[in-house]
Amino acid sequence: MSKLEKIEFTAENLARYKEYLTRYDDIESALLPTLHLAQEQFGWLPDHIVKYLAELMGIPEIHIKEVISFYDMLYDTPVGRNIVHVCTNITCSMFGGREIYQGLLKHYETDFLTPTRDGRISIQKMECLGACEIAPCMRLNNDFLGNVDLQTAIHKIDELP
Amino acid sequence: MKDSANYKDYALLSYHHIPGVHNLEIFERAGGYETMKACFDKDPEAIKEEVKQSGLRGRGGAGFSTGVKWGFFTKDRSAIKYLLCNADESEPGTFKDRYLVEKNPHILIEGMIISAWALGTQKGYIYIRGEFYHQAMILEKAIKEAYANGYLGKNILGKGFDFDLYVHRGAGAYICGEETGMISSLEGKKGQPKLKPPFPAIKGYRGLPTMVNNVESLAAIPWIMKFGANAYKQWGTEKSPGTKLFSISGDVNKPGVIEVPLSTTLKEIIEVHCGGVRNGNKLKAVIPGGSSAPIFNAEDSLIVKMDYEDVAAKGSMLGSGAIIVLDETRNMGEVLKWTLEFYHHESCGQCTPCREGTGWMEKILKRKEIGVAKKSDIELLDKTAASMRGQTICALADAAAMPTQGMIKVFRNELEQYVTTVAKK
Repeated sequence: MSKLEKIEFTAENLARYKEYLTRYDDIESALLPTLHLAQEQFGWLPDHIVKYLAELMGIPEIHIKEVISFYDMLYDTPVGRNIVHVCTNITCSMFGGREIYQGLLKHYETDFLTPTRDGRISIQKMECLGACEIAPCMRLNNDFLGNVDLQTAIHKIDELP
Repeated sequence: MKDSANYKDYALLSYHHIPGVHNLEIFERAGGYETMKACFDKDPEAIKEEVKQSGLRGRGGAGFSTGVKWGFFTKDRSAIKYLLCNADESEPGTFKDRYLVEKNPHILIEGMIISAWALGTQKGYIYIRGEFYHQAMILEKAIKEAYANGYLGKNILGKGFDFDLYVHRGAGAYICGEETGMISSLEGKKGQPKLKPPFPAIKGYRGLPTMVNNVESLAAIPWIMKFGANAYKQWGTEKSPGTKLFSISGDVNKPGVIEVPLSTTLKEIIEVHCGGVRNGNKLKAVIPGGSSAPIFNAEDSLIVKMDYEDVAAKGSMLGSGAIIVLDETRNMGEVLKWTLEFYHHESCGQCTPCREGTGWMEKILKRKEIGVAKKSDIELLDKTAASMRGQTICALADAAAMPTQGMIKVFRNELEQYVTTVAKK
């Protein structure tokens, strides 16, 4: 993204942001939903977006960066257009979750969270995703995918835009 | 999603068999929101008393009496205070709350409105883990329906009571399931727990009184208010009354969520509700209450009754009711390794015994990977775990130490063998 390009919420997202503010009794509490929103629009949360949000919300940049770094689903490094979460907790590991994770990294010639060369996907090893009955489970963006093996996982990931 | 719930007419899943019950209209046709309407004619203190009498215990894991917790809350109805529903559900093995709200969001909303009326809270938030995106959308839609029907917002049903309810999505952090960590996260901070006391009921979100209850606890309120505390106590034991959702995963034929009376035997849960151990294999061990709960060997697993007291008497805890079944093919060293990696990753980092201890434990168990493991490492692991307990702001250190020590107690020989066996490549 060129530095000259204007960094701000779209009109629709600005309206959503303003609606978030009505939900809370202080502006700080709206930070997490706002970060979700910003990530939805910008893909990840680089410094210039943090600066924009800091000015918009009147929250110090360092505080926002601290929050981003704390949560697994907020990204301060570039990520692919699609996020693939692979559960590697107890039940999923019992049924091959770790082998799927390693297999995907190998297949897509990438590493933890590093976008593939075409920028299409980032693969993230995750802790328990809360869907142990369909172990091994994954998330493709916001959709759960369960009872998968490596081949099915690759097949489904290849269908992503 | 695999659907293996039992549809017995208990309390929490009693609507689950109705197609489309996530729609308000269908939920109401089945009797939903009737109890809420009736409750507005009841004295808030009488509702609190009924919940206390029911013996309902917090279903998130701690098992503390919901009614007693409510009793700590200020009775000043004009004071600003909050109701916070814990839908962070991150304890490994747990997926009951997801199952409950994705099919029936209104049972939770009804429970929250009744609770808000009893507690006098003006605003409520459902803090749901970030990974449950679709479940958050289901809740948002259901909340919109409830607003449209006048069950939320200003002057609810003309009773002069205001209650606003919102969904707040987390962003991937186990520790936000701890109530004070959740409050920090809601305040727009890192989800780091705060020292108690003061308890959130006194000083919580934004420094104001905040009642934090689990999804399953709040969703039980409409049933308790409809049929009464005594009816609720027909199930379970004197100290562990009522029904409980159990999330069962691992080596069973039918994993899933079931609702059964507390004190149902684990044997019945595995053999009857979950179709037995997969492939007819022999049972080796069971983690009875999420990854923080010490493991049971096969013998204890087959005699334990799933209530707070009996599980504790046998050295573990009921926790969130997340049952992970392990058969004879499983390697306990691997299971412990996965567990330790988890706690190390999820430690929030503010207390040294937890931040360093969880890392040390993982490193000790992984020494075999660099060829420097010794049999005595298991003793060292046990001592490291013991030294972490009771030393930190929240229970995460204990939650990492307990299953470690539990595993060593039950499977010491296997673990010693595990660390001294060179990994096959």
